[in-house]
Amino acid sequence: MKSREEIFQTVRTALVDLFELDAPNVVPEARFDDDLEIDSIDAVDLIDHLSRIFERRVSPRDFRAVRTVQDLIDTIDRLQTQ
Amino acid sequence: MMRGRTDRLHAEASDYFVSGGSSSVKRTDFYWLRLVGTGLWFLVFGLVTFVLGLVVLPLIRLVTADRALRRHRSRAVLGAGMRFFLHSVRALRFIDFEFIGREKLGRSGQLLVANHPTLIDVCFLLGFAPGANCIVKAGHFRNLITRGAVNGAGYIPNAPTAEMIHTAEAALQAGETLLMFPEGTRTVPGKPMNMQRGAANVALRAARVLTPVYITCEPSTLSKNLPWYRIPPRRPKWTLRVGEDIDLGAYRDAPVPIASRRLHADLAGLFAGVTPVRD
Repeated sequence: MKSREEIFQTVRTALVDLFELDAPNVVPEARFDDDLEIDSIDAVDLIDHLSRIFERRVSPRDFRAVRTVQDLIDTIDRLQTQ
Repeated sequence: MMRGRTDRLHAEASDYFVSGGSSSVKRTDFYWLRLVGTGLWFLVFGLVTFVLGLVVLPLIRLVTADRALRRHRSRAVLGAGMRFFLHSVRALRFIDFEFIGREKLGRSGQLLVANHPTLIDVCFLLGFAPGANCIVKAGHFRNLITRGAVNGAGYIPNAPTAEMIHTAEAALQAGETLLMFPEGTRTVPGKPMNMQRGAANVALRAARVLTPVYITCEPSTLSKNLPWYRIPPRRPKWTLRVGEDIDLGAYRDAPVPIASRRLHADLAGLFAGVTPVRD
């Protein structure tokens, strides 16, 4: 179990490593499509990467409603308590 | 609204196609016979696909318990059907084609990427790349004529993104040959290719070999938004050239999202010269 702050740090590190984003731009309210320019193919890479880190099998369906970094943190938090 | 778009395309393609009776382009190679024949072979092709999907592949299913073997046999039958179709229409002189480097097709874990100028490109590649898998328009899995065939052969529907990428990845890892048209649809004649990054992504995830196939058809025919009966003034010839393998090792030192953008750009560059772009 990770705290929400730890989840945020993990997500931020992943976004910086995978997409060469600048860490300060990765804030909870950042939108994946407009602000971070993450498209649907990137989303698959990101989710695969995070599911390896959190050691959890996930379905892309779980992430359908994710629009912002905060949405992703909430979704991961919900999945790890299931 | 569809109509306006089609008319514009007709106008753009006017140097390729005989339109109306006022054109100065001479209709050769038995134009009217080719027109009727083209209609007939479309009909036959549809019927054969339907019968294969509805009768032959279910029969194979019935006698083949093993899933991998069943898929293998289904693809062999469909591939043979497509080869037969192409050899027939060539023998009847409706079309001509030339295949350069055919022996490089069909290796284990090989991803084939091709441009897609005409409706029947897939027949050449699935006909001559033995046992290849293919990413197919999702609509074909619902279409009454094609769904038996595409389901029986275990081809991969092109949506949604995550499923398509994971299924394609698994197929390559299992050693299959996989065919992708990176544009996801046919190339519009005279326009630059509009490739999606999915092909580069799948290549970097799982391909052992990445091989481009360059397809041209001269004069252009059976292209996007043109009905089948707009046949060219002379007999069309397809040329399929299998390119050099692309060294994926050169990209794999970066994370997939970064690397796939580089590979995607390089692929776009490789294909840029294949179809002439006109304004």
